[in-house]
Amino acid sequence: MPAGLLNGFRVLDLGSGISAPWCTKILADYGADVIKVETPGSGDASRRMGPFAGDDPHPEKSLTFLYLNTNKKGVTLDPSSVSGRKLFDRLLSEADVLVHNSPPAESKELGLDYASLAAVNPGLVVTSIAPFGQTGPYSDFQATDIVTYALSGLMYHSGDSDQPPLRNVLDQSFYVAGSNAAAATQVALFARLTLGEGQHVDVSAAECLGAHLVQPLPYYNYMGAVKGRRPVRGAGFEELMPARDGYVAPSVQGSQPWATIADLIGLEELQDEKFATGAGRVAHGEELKDLLIKGLAQWDRMPLFLASGERRLVFGMAQDAGDLAECPHLGVRDFFVDVDHPVVGPARYPGMAVRLPGEDISSTLPAPLLGQHNSEIFGQELGYSAQELITLRQHGVI
Amino acid sequence: MSLAHEPQAPLKNIRVLDLSRVFAMPFAGANLADLGAEVIKIDTCQTQFMDTTRTTTGPFPDNQPGEFWWEQGGTFQNLNRGKRSLTLDLRSEESQGIIKDLVGVCDVVLENFTPRVMARFGLDYESLRAHKPDLIMVSNTGYGHSGPWSNFGAMASALEPTHGTGAFMGYMSEGTDGRLTEGQVPNKMGNSYSDFLASWTALGSLMAALLRRARTGQGQWIDLAMYQTGTTVIGTGLLDYVFNDRRTLRIGNRHPVLSPHGVYPCQGHDQWVAIAARDENDWQAICQAMGNLGLVADARFADPIDRRQHQEELDEIIGAWTSARTSYQAMTSLQEAGAPAGAILTAKQALTDPQYLDRGFFETVHNPPEVGLRSKGYVGRAWKFSNSETGIKGPAPRLGEANEYVLAELLGIDQQSMERLAEDWTIGNLPEGGRAPGQVPLDEQAVLGWIAEFDADYLDRLAR
Repeated sequence: MPAGLLNGFRVLDLGSGISAPWCTKILADYGADVIKVETPGSGDASRRMGPFAGDDPHPEKSLTFLYLNTNKKGVTLDPSSVSGRKLFDRLLSEADVLVHNSPPAESKELGLDYASLAAVNPGLVVTSIAPFGQTGPYSDFQATDIVTYALSGLMYHSGDSDQPPLRNVLDQSFYVAGSNAAAATQVALFARLTLGEGQHVDVSAAECLGAHLVQPLPYYNYMGAVKGRRPVRGAGFEELMPARDGYVAPSVQGSQPWATIADLIGLEELQDEKFATGAGRVAHGEELKDLLIKGLAQWDRMPLFLASGERRLVFGMAQDAGDLAECPHLGVRDFFVDVDHPVVGPARYPGMAVRLPGEDISSTLPAPLLGQHNSEIFGQELGYSAQELITLRQHGVI
Repeated sequence: MSLAHEPQAPLKNIRVLDLSRVFAMPFAGANLADLGAEVIKIDTCQTQFMDTTRTTTGPFPDNQPGEFWWEQGGTFQNLNRGKRSLTLDLRSEESQGIIKDLVGVCDVVLENFTPRVMARFGLDYESLRAHKPDLIMVSNTGYGHSGPWSNFGAMASALEPTHGTGAFMGYMSEGTDGRLTEGQVPNKMGNSYSDFLASWTALGSLMAALLRRARTGQGQWIDLAMYQTGTTVIGTGLLDYVFNDRRTLRIGNRHPVLSPHGVYPCQGHDQWVAIAARDENDWQAICQAMGNLGLVADARFADPIDRRQHQEELDEIIGAWTSARTSYQAMTSLQEAGAPAGAILTAKQALTDPQYLDRGFFETVHNPPEVGLRSKGYVGRAWKFSNSETGIKGPAPRLGEANEYVLAELLGIDQQSMERLAEDWTIGNLPEGGRAPGQVPLDEQAVLGWIAEFDADYLDRLAR
């Protein structure tokens, strides 16, 4: 059972790939009743995206699909046919929200533009996610994650200053877009309480990232400075430095004096007063860096991280997927959820971004198989007979 | 309930008490203000306890903090636009009492203290709920309010590698055969990425809580750990470990499947264009844009598997073509041919980019003249509502500008008590102690690598 905050809201997920499915997964985890509508035959594009469970490229084994579609029910439906559209309109009239990420021109062609949807159900909130939004000179641009990241203005700042800008992590642009869309969709539902009507929410993935420019933007329009990528030569402390078993992120931030940091790392020479101020650390940056490398080489990541936390310092450490999947802290927070999928079997998945004390989050539905809930939704809920469903299937509608 | 039918601000009847500092929650609060909420920022006159975005983050106009430097920081302004400001001294019982009274007339509390601090102030959720039974509160911390690391402090730059982004991000390194291979050194998106993930997550979760409260009258405490939030956006990576025992993927700007996929140098200093081929149509479009259709027939580049094998040769060919163009020219030619391509914009370029301008993403904000800030563009929101009024309501609040409004009007505190609070610097409009932070001149910052470059004539450039 997911959390109960959005109980009673019906959401149609017409999305494909990452942004819209991530948005509706967030809504599903908060308790919304999410029905995923996929194209008969091929389904969500993420079913064809790697990595796959057991490295087996199978439509029910895509890890992206399995992760992004928990707690949803799945139907197949082609709304471009006449009988498909009839069925789709029945679904629409019962829904509170529709989320999609089709290119603007394509949604118009399919009759999935806001005007056509609102004509069926004026109370519907329609959220359209696109790399550059529904309007403007780039709205019909061809885009992938790296292209979206580039044009957002954020990619320029990722990576090292003596190297090209570096791509983000695992299609991050579309996760940020989905998180934004989940918030904005609910704002429109909240507005509906007083407005009495739904509305269209136009979400631009590039702008979601562009909103992160709260430092680089004023650097330029306050003083003409272009904030770059991280400098190769710094004040001794680099953001990631080698420890014995991997990389750590030492930091001078926080309210503790320099002596606490020097004492933690445990190298006598670091106690020198000349390193005690920011200016001193800049002036003696190269020497400090050598000492830090020497000192940190005595440490493994986890003991250093724990010792730093206990001294109220704010060091970090580079963790990989295995470290995180087995993290004891996340385990105690009941972050992981057990999911049993009919094809790939039981496994521990990452759970919700927030902990909601008082909510019972005792089980998680696995991502739906392609068309898994056709009879439940179309038959039991909408009243189509078994014979009618067979007819629709033979015509490729479901 | 009477229905409005006219566009209005979605959160116009919501009042938010914003106890938060620095980036993540203040930005969530700013977005709530843009949506129409009345957001009251708790400030302080004690300079050493002020939000560091008021005191040290900058940037200051022309790198010169002015007479009202604590009102001027560009990042502070972006993160706190449209809010009100009440000064208090949270160490005093009287101020803590005022917070509790204020919670009674607010709907939402945002805070990002470590758990022990809020408990020490008596401002934890259970205590505050006594004053507002249906309170919705977001507590944002590095590691959350439960678990062995819960009292560890955190900041985004050290959190980002801790929540795993460095496992999936890094430049490739040169293998023994001289070819590029998966890199060993983690890298970062930087730019306080973890903070913004927390901002968006806070907005989503508190909207869910507001929707339930509207229907059932129930409040909610939201325990938002940035470490945990950061882990959710790499869920596919975690599952790759669970199912396939794979721990990292550091392949620079390449893609595990698509090719070509990368960034290519363009005319000008540190200018780049990102290019990706999703399929064979995109690949042919790239060849067509480069005027090199011969490549389509080249056996080295016949399919994505071949292209990935010969990616270094392919990158050289594409790089030679992009180097003779500006990033915008390369992007335009590729997009006209139908291939995914985007110029890697600096913030300077973003400010004049046609798409951002067309959608009005940067919203111009005017400060009162005495603050000493020219009117400037601030970052807007990525969401356009067809039937709701949203937008930046005004500049960040001047220190304590809402003291009278909140204390006298909302809470009914008498003038005599207000005067006493002013005498001991609990309320006021000026910092007690402290002075304008010293700034490193921009030419020195450029040498140190803190900035890439600067334009002395930036105002003229932006006006053009």
